[in-house]
Amino acid sequence: MADIDNITASVERIKAAFESHNYICSDQIATAVYLAYHLHKPILIEGPPGVGKTELAKTTSELFELPLIRLQCYEGLDEAKAIYEWKYGKQLLYTQVLKETLDEVLQGAKGFAESVNRLHEFGDIFFSEEFLEPRPLLKALRQEDGCVLLIDEVDKSDHEFESLLLEILSDFQVSIPEIGTVKAVAEPPMVFLTSNNTREISDALKRRCLHLYIPFPDQELEQRIIHARVPEIPPELQRQLVAFIQELRELDLKKVPAISETIDWARTLLLLHTESLDPKLVRDTLNVILKFQEDIINVDAEITAITNKITAAGR
Amino acid sequence: MERTLTNFIQALRNAEVRISTAETLDAVSVVERVGYRDRAFLKRSLSLVLPKTKEEKETFDTCFDQFFRFEDVKSQSGRGEGSDGEDGEESQGDGAGGAGGERDGLPQQQAGKKSKGKAKGKPRDRDLLADEEAEEDLGPGEMAQATSTLGKLLMANSRVELSVAMANAGEAVDVREIQVFTQKGLFARRMMDEMGLGELNREIADLKEAPQVPSRRLGQELGRRRDWLREEVRDYVERQFLLHADASGKRLREELLRKVKLSNVEHRSFRLIQEIVYKMAKRLATMHSRRKKVFKRGQLNLPRTLRNNMAYDGAIFDLHWKSVKVDRPRVFAICDVSGSVANYARFMLMFLYSLEEVMPKVRSFAFSSDLAEVTELFERNNIEDAISKVLRDYSGGSTDYGQALKDFKRNCLDDVDNRTTIIILGDARNNYGENHQEILKEMYDRAKRVIWLNPESKNAWNVGDSVMRTYGAYCHQVDECNSLMHLERVVGNLLKQQST
Repeated sequence: MADIDNITASVERIKAAFESHNYICSDQIATAVYLAYHLHKPILIEGPPGVGKTELAKTTSELFELPLIRLQCYEGLDEAKAIYEWKYGKQLLYTQVLKETLDEVLQGAKGFAESVNRLHEFGDIFFSEEFLEPRPLLKALRQEDGCVLLIDEVDKSDHEFESLLLEILSDFQVSIPEIGTVKAVAEPPMVFLTSNNTREISDALKRRCLHLYIPFPDQELEQRIIHARVPEIPPELQRQLVAFIQELRELDLKKVPAISETIDWARTLLLLHTESLDPKLVRDTLNVILKFQEDIINVDAEITAITNKITAAGR
Repeated sequence: MERTLTNFIQALRNAEVRISTAETLDAVSVVERVGYRDRAFLKRSLSLVLPKTKEEKETFDTCFDQFFRFEDVKSQSGRGEGSDGEDGEESQGDGAGGAGGERDGLPQQQAGKKSKGKAKGKPRDRDLLADEEAEEDLGPGEMAQATSTLGKLLMANSRVELSVAMANAGEAVDVREIQVFTQKGLFARRMMDEMGLGELNREIADLKEAPQVPSRRLGQELGRRRDWLREEVRDYVERQFLLHADASGKRLREELLRKVKLSNVEHRSFRLIQEIVYKMAKRLATMHSRRKKVFKRGQLNLPRTLRNNMAYDGAIFDLHWKSVKVDRPRVFAICDVSGSVANYARFMLMFLYSLEEVMPKVRSFAFSSDLAEVTELFERNNIEDAISKVLRDYSGGSTDYGQALKDFKRNCLDDVDNRTTIIILGDARNNYGENHQEILKEMYDRAKRVIWLNPESKNAWNVGDSVMRTYGAYCHQVDECNSLMHLERVVGNLLKQQST
């Protein structure tokens, strides 16, 4: 069991702990984790794709040694898939069993009213915990030692689903009509929600969360991230490739390369035993960082200029 | 403490960051957790709780810096305590003297004369002060403890706590009520008094006369810090003036612009109008961004139910109902861009295209005499550029509604179906030309709705060459629309109708 209290004692400790797990975070991110833990508030993380939103939740779960429960959102996600569902098959099976043993059950019952009463007892059993299939949200509430709950890409879900989330986010409980309200067993889970901002998240949801915006990192931070993730890469190449990516982000592109792309590129270059960037090499590996043919064509013209600028700066 | 926070939140709201009461409570618990000591930490923490979009975060950053800005006490005093550097001392004294206000320097002056008697009695305060500082500098070393409240606060080196004390004092003297520039001196002095200047001055005077070196040193240091504090208080009042007086002014202007006739908007206000348009569009977009689904209760979706219940041995457990998805509105906007109406067209197009999130299928047409589709222009350029291009290319020529309708029929009447809403913006002044209302009738029959927005006020309709009555007969809705408020109402209704 990780010493959570020790880790979360201060922002600096959180930062250091994240770094030991190869997640380089800014003060802002560390502060968010610190406050989320101490105030028991969910964090809504926004930012361009590939800046480590999901990774933050994953690393937190590793750090606290808590299980990560993940709910991937998509259009049409509803409570049956997110909160709970009844085990229909089991219910059906038990009804069959009941049907066969109906005589035994009703044996000795006098009159219709008593028979119905006896059957009612069974009816309640069918909608009890035994037959409840917990889905991620309910599962998260029932973890004895707490857990990290990641609700990924909440902007992809329907508007109605957001409203479903409100109860669990503000009170850490869900209401199941047949059973009642289920509250978090012990420690409320650490909740992370991520959003790519494809649509506006409702105010009600935002109000219940800490709002963390993760932008693209600056050059220095990105270099440290690359260093942590791909430690084998020579320092000069690392500087060059980060500078190159930073330049690319300035251009008008359909999809700007994110940190994950930088990491992929660093791995690619390492695999190719590169020591320094040159235009030809960049051109050959451009498809690792740019995902649209249109972008690749646009950037192609600039490659030589940018590469020269970067290699010149190193000298 | 909490008042400071609520004031800060008030200032944020002034700067158009939307903050609910629940968020205020969150902010309070954050401050309890974090405290006022570490400014950067406080800023980072509050920025997680209060602003909830990227844009709001930017506003928050500037607001926070303005509100809690405070010169670093430490660096100031660090300079004062430095053992070397006569220069530093000199300039320090100068600065303090220069900063001295009405009652400034009086106790210090006396103290200086009494304790050393070496002051030359120069006519000007500044020189006297500088002299005195230079002479009396007792160098670094141990200092006595300050006893007055303000003195303790000043010596504690915590600028955030100081700023909180200052904010409290400001609150006590109602500094936010400041209206005119000339009140600033008055408020600054009241605030100093509120913070306990009298007590501090007495303490300084006493200390200067004290026989022990540490006490005198403290007195000197306190005097220095007091002068620095006075500067700060002035800055604070100034900022409050900017923060509160400025914001209410802007709000007033916006309120006015919402109601003013769009054709009367001056060119310099265009930027502001644009902002307002985006803000209104944003609000409508959030309101209507939910996916629209209507469940027709009672109609079973039989195939789906059977398919889904196969697993349960054909026993029907899990029922599925037929549902209807309502499409997002398809809007055709036809805009008269001739001189008289051009400005309205500008803002309506701006509005429609700002609503992209909820209305992705806007097709727009512009005409003065001939009509052409300009949808593509909007796809390729950003909104402002596209609008100015449209106005440049199509606004010449006199209005001919008949021709425009004929062009519309030829080009894209076939695309109009029962899900389409057609919005026509124009004054229906046809220069006595042919009306061709039969085409409008055809549009009326095919489309879901035809809405005519007329920027002229109702009593000008049907007067002169206006043929609003003729056209109006073939519209589902005819509205006067000449201010942003009208525009918002019309588009809001449009979205609402689509969602039922």
